[in-house]
Amino acid sequence: MKRIINFKLNGEDVEVLTPDNITMCDFLRKNMHLTGTKRGCEEGECGACTILLDGAAIDSCLMLAVEADGHEVVTIEGVMKDGVLHPVQKEFIDKWALQCGFCTPGMIMSALSLLHENPHPTEQEIRDGIAGNLCRCTGYTKIVEAIDSAAKIMEREARS
Amino acid sequence: MVMKAKEYYADITSVYKKPEDYELAGKGNAYVRVDAEAKVTGRAIYTDDVYLPGTYYCKLVHSPYAHALIKSIDFTEALKLPGVKGVLTGKDFPEGHNLGNPEAFKELADKEPLCRKKVRMEGDEVAAVCAVTEEIATEAARLVKVEYEPLPVILDPFDAMKPDAEPIHYPNPSKETASNLSIFTTMKAGDPDKAFAEAYYTDKHYYKTQEMVHSAIEPHGAIAKYENGEWTVWTTTQGAYVSRYWIAWGLGVPESQVRLIKPMVGGGFGGKLDVFAHELCPCKFAQMTGHPVKCILKRDEVFKCTRTRHPISFEIESAFTKEGKLLAKRCKHILDGGAYGGSGIAANTLSLICATFPYKVENIDMTARRPYTNHPASGAMRGYSACQVHFAHEIHMDEVANALHIDPLELRRKNEITPYYTGPTGLEFTSCKFDECLVACADAIDWKHRDKYPVGSGEAVGLSGSGFMSGTGFPVLVTPHYCSSSTIVRLNREGYAVVFTGANDIGQGCDTVMTMIVAEELGLRMDEVKLVNSDTTTTPWDAGSFGSRVTFLGGNACRRAVGDAKLKLLTHWAQEWNCKPQDIKMKDHRVFVEGDAEKNISYNEACFGYEEKNFGRCVAGVGSFAHEGDKDVYVKNVGNYATAYSFSASAAKVKVDMETGQVELEDFVFGHDCGRPLNIRAVEGQIEGSVLLGFGFSCFEECVYNKDGKHMNPSFRDYRFPTALDMPHIKTIVCSEYDPEGPMGAKEAGEGSTAPVGSAIGNAVNYATGFVMKELPITPERLWRAIKEHQRTGKTEFGAEDLPKKFAEMPPLPKRD
Repeated sequence: MKRIINFKLNGEDVEVLTPDNITMCDFLRKNMHLTGTKRGCEEGECGACTILLDGAAIDSCLMLAVEADGHEVVTIEGVMKDGVLHPVQKEFIDKWALQCGFCTPGMIMSALSLLHENPHPTEQEIRDGIAGNLCRCTGYTKIVEAIDSAAKIMEREARS
Repeated sequence: MVMKAKEYYADITSVYKKPEDYELAGKGNAYVRVDAEAKVTGRAIYTDDVYLPGTYYCKLVHSPYAHALIKSIDFTEALKLPGVKGVLTGKDFPEGHNLGNPEAFKELADKEPLCRKKVRMEGDEVAAVCAVTEEIATEAARLVKVEYEPLPVILDPFDAMKPDAEPIHYPNPSKETASNLSIFTTMKAGDPDKAFAEAYYTDKHYYKTQEMVHSAIEPHGAIAKYENGEWTVWTTTQGAYVSRYWIAWGLGVPESQVRLIKPMVGGGFGGKLDVFAHELCPCKFAQMTGHPVKCILKRDEVFKCTRTRHPISFEIESAFTKEGKLLAKRCKHILDGGAYGGSGIAANTLSLICATFPYKVENIDMTARRPYTNHPASGAMRGYSACQVHFAHEIHMDEVANALHIDPLELRRKNEITPYYTGPTGLEFTSCKFDECLVACADAIDWKHRDKYPVGSGEAVGLSGSGFMSGTGFPVLVTPHYCSSSTIVRLNREGYAVVFTGANDIGQGCDTVMTMIVAEELGLRMDEVKLVNSDTTTTPWDAGSFGSRVTFLGGNACRRAVGDAKLKLLTHWAQEWNCKPQDIKMKDHRVFVEGDAEKNISYNEACFGYEEKNFGRCVAGVGSFAHEGDKDVYVKNVGNYATAYSFSASAAKVKVDMETGQVELEDFVFGHDCGRPLNIRAVEGQIEGSVLLGFGFSCFEECVYNKDGKHMNPSFRDYRFPTALDMPHIKTIVCSEYDPEGPMGAKEAGEGSTAPVGSAIGNAVNYATGFVMKELPITPERLWRAIKEHQRTGKTEFGAEDLPKKFAEMPPLPKRD
């Protein structure tokens, strides 16, 4: 079975015919050619496929594409605005908070969700916020540092 | 007299930038990874992101049995499914073209692309299907009917060695000697028997480590296309040239007809060195259908069908003087090789080499055996053999210290390797800051006041040390090539340079290192150096990312290549300016003689001037680096394994919940001697990742099998490794000294650093509990059981209880021809 769904994807209205049984992760990658969302385990354990659904982080491998109908979806490709990197992206670069980079898109989406909900997280809250995102390369140290630094930059930017 | 590389490259070396002039590699390291922006925006292309028009999908059919004969394969139902485009069995690949590592013995090329008659592990690939979508391919693979005749399953390496054991590969010709050995290694030096006889202290201890999986977040996969009689393959590999060699061999075609391109790789850790069915089958299907064909493994396939870390059983005997000088060591290492050889062969010799340092021991008698079992094939994994060996030997070191009533730190310092020491089997150490690493870690963890945590109080600190080869000279998956790394650098008069490197960035950041080295030497900005990497058509030979060879060998190759180009350019301008090439500097996009305004031109002008004089020839340089070692090391086991060696120490502060057995790693300090760090944040990143891997090794991770050899936890839910919530604060202390052989003085920073982590945590847990945990992983369950048993019986040593009997009854080794 297929059906037509309408939703907002990275700020654009989308109307598209999709099979009922395709996951959001596969739909984004195969149908929308947005390959920044990664397939790591496809069973909701690694977080590499994390996207924002109405602002909240969700494993796109555990969600069907049809469930996006009427909602707003942001993927890693929608984080950079007007050619300018988001502070979280910028801090990931500056702090060397990535190595192989495969978990990075999901990690950044979880960080955005966290900072949206809690703009001034403690280190423990940052660790909680990314606890569902596995990284095998970094030991998380520099990721936590980058998110903390981004939070501070975003706060400064919001004030000025 | 054979010319040595140093003499060959002497002219080139003379124009290298002097350390005091380093800008990028010097203080500050104000540059970022060259791939960082692509990775934070989702634009970085990994294998699964390569989409070609008309792509078909391949799925593999795996054996549900750990050991069985294949009686028949029936594709009838699968072929009825609309959208199925083809099927493959082992017979579609040329017979005898097995994959593996035939370095020591040709029989070690033991893996068929698809099994023809026999499966040796659960998940062994017996067939493949190809369809227009991934979903149809998955369904078709399910419909393939394979009939098996199960054989006895052997999971214990000691059972596998029994002379009458069911042969996994080859029948045992003898009734007395050990069966199923894929390889065995002996290493002897000095007079260990005499040393043992004269020693004040001798002992015999047993330890055991578990099977672990690399768990790179990117699953393995490949996409292949076939055009004009040539394959192009994008695959998750740690060595483009090595993969190409084995793919061509497996297909039975010349290497010239296969182009291998390594896209971004989402972590390797040793798990992406070997060549697999998921790479060969898409190639075959691409040729059969004319379409590109993709095969991406599911997570459970990665667990079952790729590679694992060798579980090792140890018997260690040591001899010390009363004062704590290590006189001799005897040890036996039994490595569970799993079903195949491949990259796992080198583990055997490496396990012995690792046991000969970081402490001086002149008298040794060591053997390592790697029997086949029906577990998944064991292979290379970050800190190759060193993690297991330094767990056992470093827990042992503390046991000795406590028996001799010597401070464990002092016992280590009494025996530690010193700079420019040559080991009994020929390891030639260069720079060594091991002592500084140990002392720095001890200071940072407040070792002096460790008595504030009484033994058994549930809190304690632990210490450990290790060493590792920096730039291994030997292949782990041999190919008929010099085990080198090669680079070409071209200088462009439009104001930039291009570096063509065979080095394989799998996430560790070598693309950035190579770019930096060229930029540093030429006085260009990082973005003025364009990198072309890991493509067998466009870049020169490289043996792959393993054995901590990339920065060391690849970096040196890159420097020689840029040095070659620089020498040509500067020789030209030295003639023009009537000076020596060494008088000319390259900095800030200028080529100049310091203090002489007449002799100061832009980089562009310099390149143009050279070209004008040389009839348009551009400035280009080539360079290569290889460790000049004894090629017979696998057989003779003596000689110098690498050009340099790195050293590490770790200190852990743990808190053990004596009710639940939960270990909390509260603090972790790492001291690393990586020579001159080329980028401090990159070094820290490698070490922080190493601590994660080591913590997972010591307290979390283990592949579990039922008695039939079925993998019981092939998912990240059931095979857990540390999350952000589990990881402690990590303090990295770099104890550096410019290494004379390293690129810009650097040594390895990412692999040896995994080795001392498990034992530092293990030693800390042992002091916290008052036990000696002899087997990994120290999970809450294992520790909880130990606590309960201790309360019942007073027992204090746990794990590896089966080993004394098994080692005692082990059949002898066969005679080597």
